[in-house]
Amino acid sequence: MKRLIILMMTIIATHGVGACNKSKGGGARQEGHKLIVIITPPHDNPFFKAEAETAAAKAKVLGYDTLVLSHEDDANRQDQLVDTAIGNRARAIILDNAGADATVATVRRAREAGVPSFLMDREINGTGIAVAQIISNNYQGATLGAQEFVRLMGERGNYVEFLGKESDTNAVIRTKGFNDVLSKYPEMKCIARVSANWSQTEAFQKMETILQANRSIDGVIAGNDTMALGVAAALKGAGLKKTIVVGFDGSPDVIAAVKAGEIRATVLQPASRIASMAVEQADTYIRRGSTGLPEKQLIDCLLVTPENADKFGLFELK
Amino acid sequence: MKKAILFRLRAVVALIVLVIVFSFLSPAFLTPSNLIILAKHVAINSLLAIGMTFVILSGGIDLSVGSIAGLSGMIAGLLLHDGLILRPLGVVVFFNVGCVIVLSVLVGIAVGALNGLLVTRMRVAPFIVTLGTLYAARGAALLISNGATFPNLVGQVDLGNTGFQFLGAGTILRLPTPIWLMAILGLIGAFLAEKTPFGRRVYAVGGNERAAYLAGVRVARVKLIVYMISGGCAALAGLVIASQLAAAHPATGTTFELSAIAAVVLGGTSLAGGKGSVVGTMIGAFVIGVLNDGLVLLGVSEFWQYVIKGFVILFAAIMDKWASSAAPQAGRAPRRGL
Repeated sequence: MKRLIILMMTIIATHGVGACNKSKGGGARQEGHKLIVIITPPHDNPFFKAEAETAAAKAKVLGYDTLVLSHEDDANRQDQLVDTAIGNRARAIILDNAGADATVATVRRAREAGVPSFLMDREINGTGIAVAQIISNNYQGATLGAQEFVRLMGERGNYVEFLGKESDTNAVIRTKGFNDVLSKYPEMKCIARVSANWSQTEAFQKMETILQANRSIDGVIAGNDTMALGVAAALKGAGLKKTIVVGFDGSPDVIAAVKAGEIRATVLQPASRIASMAVEQADTYIRRGSTGLPEKQLIDCLLVTPENADKFGLFELK
Repeated sequence: MKKAILFRLRAVVALIVLVIVFSFLSPAFLTPSNLIILAKHVAINSLLAIGMTFVILSGGIDLSVGSIAGLSGMIAGLLLHDGLILRPLGVVVFFNVGCVIVLSVLVGIAVGALNGLLVTRMRVAPFIVTLGTLYAARGAALLISNGATFPNLVGQVDLGNTGFQFLGAGTILRLPTPIWLMAILGLIGAFLAEKTPFGRRVYAVGGNERAAYLAGVRVARVKLIVYMISGGCAALAGLVIASQLAAAHPATGTTFELSAIAAVVLGGTSLAGGKGSVVGTMIGAFVIGVLNDGLVLLGVSEFWQYVIKGFVILFAAIMDKWASSAAPQAGRAPRRGL
């Protein structure tokens, strides 16, 4: 009995949480020739959930079986999942990857095993390995958000920047985009630049602490929407209603907050559109042996403001 | 005597040193409002750590607290946002905030009871049992909403379920509610550990389980109760977070168990069980909290923050080891005998 339970626990432990979500129970292996494997970061972020679900829905419409997996932002786990895809003789992998450098070898191995990869949202450091890299243009999005931030601030004042996880490529690109714009305005003063690891709880606590050092903060620009929500909650708690908050991602919660005036603007990454494009190109490639398009395709982000917030749905223009 | 005990805790020394260093480096650090915010931040970790202290004193460990915190926040989010949907009856039941809080804490206690039963009845090592519930409870939290966040948990006036924000964002006598929760739970915890027969049984079980059993202590029951305490405390911490943010996110509390264990160990509680105190744990939680907030105030890079936190934990643990090997064990807590 004891052994049995230990065994069960070990199985649970080694298999992790919520990583596997087969769309059709058990049918994957037999129908491998019609299988598309979709791998994204964890679905507790609505962005990746929307991306995975749109891709799966599109693939089904085009007549494929799907296997939807999450690599939990862990390159090693991603590597194992790609092995699963190769083992199941998938026709294509649709991947939102777990690291620009750590993914290169994994995608190359899949290619050598005859499984083409179609990257969405984030790029990898290498070309000619994946068939397509349909990338959300984070730099353009960051400059767009920063320009709106500058406009809302009236080109002057003290601001705080919240960075995402500093080891994440997108965190670095976004902060570069922000600063390339903000550094042109000498009267915009950055009084603190902190990382809150994309986390709402962490952003909330750190904003509260920063407010202790300096209450004259006119604006906060955040590297993603969950941090913007944490910041907005902290500002609300401190009774600072005029402070301008700008986020990044365009999640439904933040679009609601933009409508309510708690967050002044965010930048929407068209995740749903990118996901459908990736699947469509995979389908074309499977049927014709080529997508007929360049490998790298940059997709621009869109600015969400109170005026146009009604026009946006789940990570796309309605 | 009390003073001597306090000074035996190296965490106190670490805390004093850190407070002096940070007040020197940042003028904003030693201000009443910053100390209140700091205490509020510490409250979450210390709620988890108070429960954890009992488990560790009994010779066990509870890795599932972070997941339980996430799960209880999600239960509260579900009950406030969607209500309890009773499909067969075709009705949706909304509870008032008091009931929501009680139900969510009961879920935490239930997971704790499951931990306790698996440890005592099936005799599986606590590390493995709670590792299992760490994953299972996190999975359950994600399943409740299919990974989505419950936003805007302010309740609706016509449903009579407003006021959830009081738990995390409210104040009593100008002090935030989480601080009161921490103080009350700390006092209850310290009283329970130091002044009641139950507390003495926990020390006895952790010190020498066989001796305790032979002396007539119902070991299994004591162990069951400590895991239930830990589950309940973790659930409360999860509710405080959900209430502060007015949102319940299923990944809330990931790796919180490690901060809680760090606070317990910094506070001088032995991982082998049978030795330590709730007061020590609270001081340990403050050491971690002061480091967290102080380094943010100074604008230290995230990467250095990890390194510095790691070294402070190691340093305090080494100091404690020196202290306990230099001075022969005094005091009433029995040592673990093998």
